[in-house]
Amino acid sequence: MNRSARALKIASRMELTSLAVLLLNLALGNAQQVAAIAGPIHGCLYLLVIILTARDPRTTPKAAALAVVPGVGGLLARRRLDASTGPAVPSPHLETSRQNS
Amino acid sequence: MTKALLALHVLAAIITVGPVTVAASMFPAAVRAGNPAQIRVLHRICNVYAAVAVAVPVFGFATAGMLHVLGTPWLIASICLTSIAALVLGAVILPAQDRILRTVGEPDAGDTAADSGRATLSRLAMCTGIFNLLWASVTVLMILRPGSTTGV
Repeated sequence: MNRSARALKIASRMELTSLAVLLLNLALGNAQQVAAIAGPIHGCLYLLVIILTARDPRTTPKAAALAVVPGVGGLLARRRLDASTGPAVPSPHLETSRQNS
Repeated sequence: MTKALLALHVLAAIITVGPVTVAASMFPAAVRAGNPAQIRVLHRICNVYAAVAVAVPVFGFATAGMLHVLGTPWLIASICLTSIAALVLGAVILPAQDRILRTVGEPDAGDTAADSGRATLSRLAMCTGIFNLLWASVTVLMILRPGSTTGV
């Protein structure tokens, strides 16, 4: 299993989760403490996703551009990287769809 | 909350910059000793911790925003020096380490290759030293904070 691909998988999911936490906090009264901690965490993950996409050996300019998209950039970039040369990380739902078709 | 963000910023700096400093400094000696496994580990440490080090400026900006010190001269100087350090690390040190790591595996093709290899290694050692000076300067600036009127 490709190390950087696994890291990108985790980081992209956490990127979206942390954004969801921020938006949820905003909807539920906008507690300043939650925003002050969750904000930088989401920011770190966003930057990490861009760096990991740029460092992935399968990377293309398009994948890197997709990674810059806020919130879902990591997931979009992973989709493109997996599509270009096949998944570096075996994914259960991909295998079942191959079995069905 | 400000104290928590500052603590996280300092923790992130210690955890990420420390290993890069040590591993990058040990890299040239490991190349001269000719131990490929060790060289690979040192390069991997530099790579991984350099990526995680994005947390340092992120929490730094968060803390500075809370303290309303974003316009102060010492912080602007620190941000400039940190940006240069990040550039030196990402655009000079890490690619040079990667290049040297590739050529260590292959046997040297005569004296000229060995000489240019030594020159590359010396340049890498110099850039590593510059990187260390830069982040050390930032640390001192952030402690002394010349011209600051705030106390944290």
